[in-house]
Amino acid sequence: MRSGADAIQIRDLSVSYSVVAERSGERKSLLRSTERRLIHALHGVSFNVPAGEVVALIGGNGAGKSTLLKTIVGVLKPAAGQIDLFGRPHLLAPGMGFNRRLSGRENVILGGLAAGMSLDEVKEKQEQIIEFADIGGFIDMPTTTYSSGMFGRLAFAVATHVDTEILLIDEALSAGDASFRERAVDKVGEMCSAAKTIVVVSHSSTMVADMATRAVWLHQGQVRREGEVDEVADAYLAFQADGTETAQMDRSIADR
Amino acid sequence: MSAAPSSSTDVVPILTRRATRSGVPPLRQYLAEAWRFRTFAIHWSRADLKSRNFDTLFGRIWNVLNPLLFGLIYFVFVGIIAGGGLNQLERLGFIIGNLYVWLFFNGTVATGVSSIQSGAGGVLAQSSIPRVILPVASTITAGSLFARSLIAYVPIHFATGRGIHIEMLWLPLAFVVTAIFGFGLALLLAVANVYLRDVSRLLPHMLRLWLYLSPVIWEFTRLGAQDADLLVDLGRLNPMYHGMVVWTVGFGGGLPGSDESLPLSLLVFSGWAVAAVVAGFLLFTSREDDFAIRS
Repeated sequence: MRSGADAIQIRDLSVSYSVVAERSGERKSLLRSTERRLIHALHGVSFNVPAGEVVALIGGNGAGKSTLLKTIVGVLKPAAGQIDLFGRPHLLAPGMGFNRRLSGRENVILGGLAAGMSLDEVKEKQEQIIEFADIGGFIDMPTTTYSSGMFGRLAFAVATHVDTEILLIDEALSAGDASFRERAVDKVGEMCSAAKTIVVVSHSSTMVADMATRAVWLHQGQVRREGEVDEVADAYLAFQADGTETAQMDRSIADR
Repeated sequence: MSAAPSSSTDVVPILTRRATRSGVPPLRQYLAEAWRFRTFAIHWSRADLKSRNFDTLFGRIWNVLNPLLFGLIYFVFVGIIAGGGLNQLERLGFIIGNLYVWLFFNGTVATGVSSIQSGAGGVLAQSSIPRVILPVASTITAGSLFARSLIAYVPIHFATGRGIHIEMLWLPLAFVVTAIFGFGLALLLAVANVYLRDVSRLLPHMLRLWLYLSPVIWEFTRLGAQDADLLVDLGRLNPMYHGMVVWTVGFGGGLPGSDESLPLSLLVFSGWAVAAVVAGFLLFTSREDDFAIRS
């Protein structure tokens, strides 16, 4: 990716989607106990992410952080506006594409391909990934026999060995025990220092401060503030201390 | 971080996400992305095949045994209980051959729909893989199972005296058209199922009914023998009528009393397949971001 230029350009982005929710008391009927509700998750969001920067998305529950990541990666579509990507994005999603009935070794291949690696690339990195996961002889056993910690380690190992230009992280660093978590954070740090552009969502201010150089504060689906990470994080913490922030989803839901 | 887009306007982005009026993504970009994940589709399909019978004694042999037993059950039901008698050995070949084709079609549709409903191991919720890859993988799975079922069919074909015919040369094309038709229907029904879960409950029953309404376990020449033009005309509205004519004639080299033309039937069946895949693709791609939320 070009240094000194933008990796991501977001212009007037709005995202909305509908969900099926249970109807409340009197509105329930024999035929229809559910109804569609439209959620306006993001409205008029504009900002650029320069190549090589680590940008943190901060904000309360329902602010639109995960929705923004999912729109960048292509899971959700914009309702209006545009995102231009000058590198291929990858959402760090441990376990994505795994088939629990297959062995760990086979899932390394499957998960790697699902993450966008070529077959040659996965085969080349297979031993490296297995070594990082450090689950011993279990690697040739079906993953249904794994403990949740072992599965998390393998899944994380696959997800973090993807060579990508734009890495998107959404609260994905909780795999395994304490010692593995430390290695996990180190691994992500290593990815950051490999001059990748990273957009990270985290509720941990320590992690944000450690990893990010810039921050965007989202509030009720809009950009409230953006800039240096310390400055934005301080403003957000002051806002939280005010006690005025509550779960924001209710205010962004409109009955269809 | 700049507040507004600026600098790199002279550089073309490699990917653009934007709203489109129809909801259908830019076709060229979408197909290029789908092509990038073709290896994943093949491996996803292999994993599915491998995991289906992983805890059984016979393992992969079930991929051949299952359609064989299925065919024998229908032969007992149609050929013997319904009054055909044990001497109708040639019917065994006819019924089993057609049933394998139907299982292929049925599998393409049913597993295509369920691949979206299951969320595919987080693929729908977390990755940029074009969702069409999942029904593609299901079609590959159904095609692989069909190829394996042919291992069981070949000795039956010859044992029941169906022999070798020039019409067999049409069968590879019939395979492709059946796959396209099943794939197109899977796309349409996968979308319907996302909005109305009842579709997945109804699907097995509808497919079973469709099997009985199509000339799979009964000969297509029976429609003509009824001497009821309306019945024949109604029968011909069924795309699988034409599909099964192609397969029946392709496998068996025609039936006595048949006035159906194989190339014409294949042409009509191809028309249905193209219509299903175009409508399915447009609807599927215009709605696929809903899959992540609703699946």
